[in-house]
Amino acid sequence: MRLIDWIWHIRGSVALAPGQSSDDAFGKLEPLFRQPNTSFERSNDTLVFQKKDQAAQDKMSIFDDGTLRIERGTSGAVLRYHLTSRALLACFLAPLLFLGIAQFTVMLGQHQAKTEHASDKSAEAKKDKDKKIVPLNPIDRFLGAPAPEKPDKKDADKGGKRDKKPSPTPAYVFAAIFAALYVGGRILEDRLIKSHFTRRLRGSRSTMTREPALPPVGGRAA
Amino acid sequence: MPPQLDYRGDKMDGIRVGKRIIGADSPVIVGWENIGRVEGGPVKQFIFTWFQPTVLFAAILFWYYAPNSIAKASTAIGIGIGFKLLLLSLEWVNPRYDSWRLTWKELVTDLFYVGLGYTVLRIVDSYIGSSVMVEAIQHLFHWDKFAWFTSLPLLVQAFLISFIFDFGQYWMHRGMHNWYPLWLPHSVHHYITQMNINKGAVGNPVELFLIGLGIGGFFDFVPRAFLLAGAIGMSVGSYMHINVRFNTPRWWRFLFNTTEHHSVHHSRDYEASRSNFAGTYIFIDRIFGTCVDGEAELLGMEGGRRMSIREQMTYPFTEAWKTLKEKFARPGAMVVPAE
Repeated sequence: MRLIDWIWHIRGSVALAPGQSSDDAFGKLEPLFRQPNTSFERSNDTLVFQKKDQAAQDKMSIFDDGTLRIERGTSGAVLRYHLTSRALLACFLAPLLFLGIAQFTVMLGQHQAKTEHASDKSAEAKKDKDKKIVPLNPIDRFLGAPAPEKPDKKDADKGGKRDKKPSPTPAYVFAAIFAALYVGGRILEDRLIKSHFTRRLRGSRSTMTREPALPPVGGRAA
Repeated sequence: MPPQLDYRGDKMDGIRVGKRIIGADSPVIVGWENIGRVEGGPVKQFIFTWFQPTVLFAAILFWYYAPNSIAKASTAIGIGIGFKLLLLSLEWVNPRYDSWRLTWKELVTDLFYVGLGYTVLRIVDSYIGSSVMVEAIQHLFHWDKFAWFTSLPLLVQAFLISFIFDFGQYWMHRGMHNWYPLWLPHSVHHYITQMNINKGAVGNPVELFLIGLGIGGFFDFVPRAFLLAGAIGMSVGSYMHINVRFNTPRWWRFLFNTTEHHSVHHSRDYEASRSNFAGTYIFIDRIFGTCVDGEAELLGMEGGRRMSIREQMTYPFTEAWKTLKEKFARPGAMVVPAE
């Protein structure tokens, strides 16, 4: 499992300042966990948290749960964290979903082509051939708008069905987009959380402001 | 200086707009004179004042005069994608609210819905969408398309295409806010807690299908008019869910829907959320008395709870099941109020 769990697990460490106590370190990190829909438990050297329906602007919105532990060694104290993210996992799997959709679209197109082949194409082609070209309004002619083209004979011969066949291209494009988003997100979010932890641990506890909290508003379902 | 709403616990005073009190549940800025302006130097002011009208008129000119070899749907798709990328960069440069900043997770979530729209919903539409329904009705009654409009000037045709669709969308949207079975699929779209360029795609697929229905297929228009209508839609409708501060011209905000209007619609304030239903032409709301000029920062439902994709997919059905169970619960199990 460890071989693949890097897909949705983020692990890392930040060195604590010399002499920094666990209490002081967790005290500085606590505002990150004092967010809506977040619960956390803190013991001496460990902080365990869980999140649900994370707010969009929550600095840790991609994480669902995790553990932060302070370990003391000969070279000093280190904060080690292990965070899990369903968002990263979903983004990793999204290309597979869109590839599946692409395959389904191809199959649908093949099925549609067979059905159309069996049906009479000539009526449709005739309809297209018979389509009259509407002349431009005199105002548009005066303003110089290009006149409409005659329907393409090739298109008419194809029975005018060219555009109706479902195309798998958008699904392939989105599979590629999500693959790129996963790679970008895995690197970006790893760096962002490390920088949040580092900045908070280095900052002064007294000058550190709380995360902006939304005012308590009585939501009312429409 | 915007009027500060008097906040007293769960209820605020709000502001009277017509017969309604706007902003009693959650802060809403009412009135154009109270809305923030673009901050920065003259170049920035110039760009964010003239960007929207320039794009609109440039798009109209392009599609009006583009030779037939260029005036194609594939060109429109390319321009549409390029324009979305440009708007994403504007969100980065000049956000309306920092609390609406696009994060990686928000971008991924929004693009998931955009992806569904371009793939699954397209397939569903090709089988049971409005064009298929219109074709079936025409076939049933042996109707041909109503070709009344094809001889009209191109721009008039383009306006009619977008207006007919928007007029239908206004009533569908208003229906969704007033009839529980339609509200259920639409409600999940109101759980978005910030505005970003792709937020319009966020919603339950059933709702996205319903909101895409239109009666435009009954009428015949020339192909270039459709491209012009698409250009108007792109150059006006794209700003509905955007997080960019513009100094929107007075005439624009009188005629067209803006992110300000739509943020009021998405506000956590109940009365405010029952306003500004049109997609492109806000004057439809003005005609029917549902327009509220203003803007809101705090958006969403249930105090701003962000709904996961999984819940967005199931919520209309689970809520419907809950409601049905309550309605048809055994009478003995119901609580009888004391006399």
